[in-house]
Amino acid sequence: MTGVMALEDTDSVGFTRLRLERRRRLLAVMERAGLDVLVLGRPGDVRYATGARTLWRTGANPFAPMCVVVARTGRVHLLSTWDDGIPPEIGHDDLYGLFWNPEHLIAALASIPGLTEAHRVGTDSLTPFFGGVLAHLVPALELVDASRILADVRADKTADEFVCIETALTLAEAGLAALDDALQPGISEQALLGAYVEAVARLGAPTPPSENVVFATPLLGPVRYRYLVTDHLINKGELVVLSPGALYAGYEAGVGRTRTAGAAPSLSAVALGDRCRRATDALIAACRPGNTGADLYRIWESTGEPPAEIALVYGLGLGAEAPMVGFGRGADAPLLEGAVLNVQAFVTQEGTGGFFERELVRIGVTGPEVLSRSER
Amino acid sequence: MVDDWAAGATIGGVVIPGLPDMARLRADRHAKVQGQLEAQNVDGLVLLGSAGVAYATGADAPGEDSGRAGLFRSVAVVVRGDSSPHLYTAFWDGVPAELPADHVHGPLFPDLDDGITEFVEALKGHFSPGARLGVDEQTHPMLRALEGYEWTDASSVLGAAKILKTPDEVSAIREAQRITEQAMESARGALRPGLRQTDLSGIFLRRIFELGATANAIDPIWQVMTPTKAEGPWTSHGDLAYPTSTTDRSLREGDIIWVDAGICHQGYASDFGRTWITTAYPSPTERQISHFTRWRGVVDAARDILKPGVSALELGRAAIAANNGVKPWMEHFYLAHGIGTDSAEMPLIGTDLGDAFDASLIMGPGMVLVFEPVIWDEGYAGYRSEDIVAVTDTGWVLLSGLRYDPFEVAA
Repeated sequence: MTGVMALEDTDSVGFTRLRLERRRRLLAVMERAGLDVLVLGRPGDVRYATGARTLWRTGANPFAPMCVVVARTGRVHLLSTWDDGIPPEIGHDDLYGLFWNPEHLIAALASIPGLTEAHRVGTDSLTPFFGGVLAHLVPALELVDASRILADVRADKTADEFVCIETALTLAEAGLAALDDALQPGISEQALLGAYVEAVARLGAPTPPSENVVFATPLLGPVRYRYLVTDHLINKGELVVLSPGALYAGYEAGVGRTRTAGAAPSLSAVALGDRCRRATDALIAACRPGNTGADLYRIWESTGEPPAEIALVYGLGLGAEAPMVGFGRGADAPLLEGAVLNVQAFVTQEGTGGFFERELVRIGVTGPEVLSRSER
Repeated sequence: MVDDWAAGATIGGVVIPGLPDMARLRADRHAKVQGQLEAQNVDGLVLLGSAGVAYATGADAPGEDSGRAGLFRSVAVVVRGDSSPHLYTAFWDGVPAELPADHVHGPLFPDLDDGITEFVEALKGHFSPGARLGVDEQTHPMLRALEGYEWTDASSVLGAAKILKTPDEVSAIREAQRITEQAMESARGALRPGLRQTDLSGIFLRRIFELGATANAIDPIWQVMTPTKAEGPWTSHGDLAYPTSTTDRSLREGDIIWVDAGICHQGYASDFGRTWITTAYPSPTERQISHFTRWRGVVDAARDILKPGVSALELGRAAIAANNGVKPWMEHFYLAHGIGTDSAEMPLIGTDLGDAFDASLIMGPGMVLVFEPVIWDEGYAGYRSEDIVAVTDTGWVLLSGLRYDPFEVAA
């Protein structure tokens, strides 16, 4: 575990080692997959390949060739007009600028040594336009799905990557503490979200992995997991879901808890919380090497809870990653040693509300290791 | 009482409302998309990008890092001739109320092979084999599974629909901008030597959520400008590096910072740009005030001729003339860009698309322009702010409102 300030005696996180190890792994899987070139557009993949600290934008943006990795030269080329935020191993010659005119972008790509004479080119996604551009630039093009290759290489975390995730978790737990301090009857969900985001921003993490952080669950009527913050004012006795996350060096972590606002939990709230913890703990216990998503679905069913309306488990790293077990998907997805998982449960009881928990879990050789420490 | 900020200005003969009617906005937008599908002979759209889904369906989604937003993305499917779009999403509480129940579906997970058969089945239900479909992204599972359609880029349909805003859309952008500006007042009020860039982000972001913003859109920028270009980051074109990303850098007395931030409110982006001076006692020098005055003159020169029928090239030339013949914008950017469900979209004025493109880009009622010229004075840094205007039937209205403190007190 590390803090976020710079230290004069040492690097708190071995970022140089982290980047070089990621690049080594990437070039190794390219060789195994027989890939001449990788063209990447997904921000998580680009971060993995480059370590560049580029401007953060919300949401899923359309694919564009943000980064080109050439096996023959071992060079990583990046779309950036300047070198601020760019690691030193990516030289000025490796940068290509931002263009609005597609012809200029195509010319810049064409000048990347090793691209036009490539054969097998992997991309992590595509559009019709860039599919055409690649076919034009690479006469002998054999297009390969690199999204799986990237997912596999990203799933197995290095020690340095793990330190980043633990640091992100520390920040997320600080966000939970800020939410706990701010939670009281009369405050709005919006104001709670604001208190959280200011707390993590002041700790140096101003881009939450998700703004789905706070929602009150109703004391009467049907209860569902909610995604959008509202101007609802928290009522005394309501069960309020708090689910803060944080990013550190691009790596995501989060923790989820449910609190009773302004009062001791009612007996029915205590019972609901027990149900939620039993479900979460059952899922965590099943996070072992060799298990698959199907084991998690089976465990969930054995708790007697109705089918979950949210994912049971998904990987975390540079954002959400494989495996994703939920919404009926991921039954065949293997749970691999070294993966870091977000494990979560949401259970409801009309007349009481909803109870949510999420824990960060690492799959160790012998079984799951719970990383979150926040009071349950 | 609703602020009558547009003062009766019209777009297509319709008065711009003080606040947007979101249901009407969505209906008008859907009609425009349908009109483009018809005009361009495209059978439908399949959209995976956040801004495209927001435009096509009006669905809200929580702000998310791209890594998470990619996996849990919503998908929009627009069928030519259909009265409503189809939405595939987990975010049920962001679904517009008027969307018919048979057009709202569970999520599709286009990034996973597992479940891609659901995607195939969904499209089979909407389109015949061989249909010509616009798409904004093709994941590899989609490329493998969704054969038998003619795929084209959705951008030609979306771009043509998006470039002219309805009066409600203009009002929605103004509402997003109003929240942003209010939140920025809190950040500027807190600006003192020793504060960190991320502290300013914290203050700003807290306020936008307290004020009801749907989501933040970019990591707010508080870039400290060096007096000369050479002292700043290396760039491939030799011009300024801007915007660079925020860190926990401590701001020092007298630091000139160029602020740039934007949120997403009810699907619409805002764009805030100002130049601030880090000090408890801001008093710009004569030279700094002259930078602002020049900036004001550049924006005014463009605005003075802005009305339907004027070309982007004419606007660019007016701006250059007002800056003594020097192009007052950065090499990698533009004099002005449009804004809507994307934070930067057409019309783009002064890009590397070139003069011929700009000459063909004619201003029309409903276009929204974010003017962001840069006045650079080598050795003394410079000035950059952003003004947002919407082109109306007879001229333009201002959508941004905050003052330019500490350079001037009246907007």
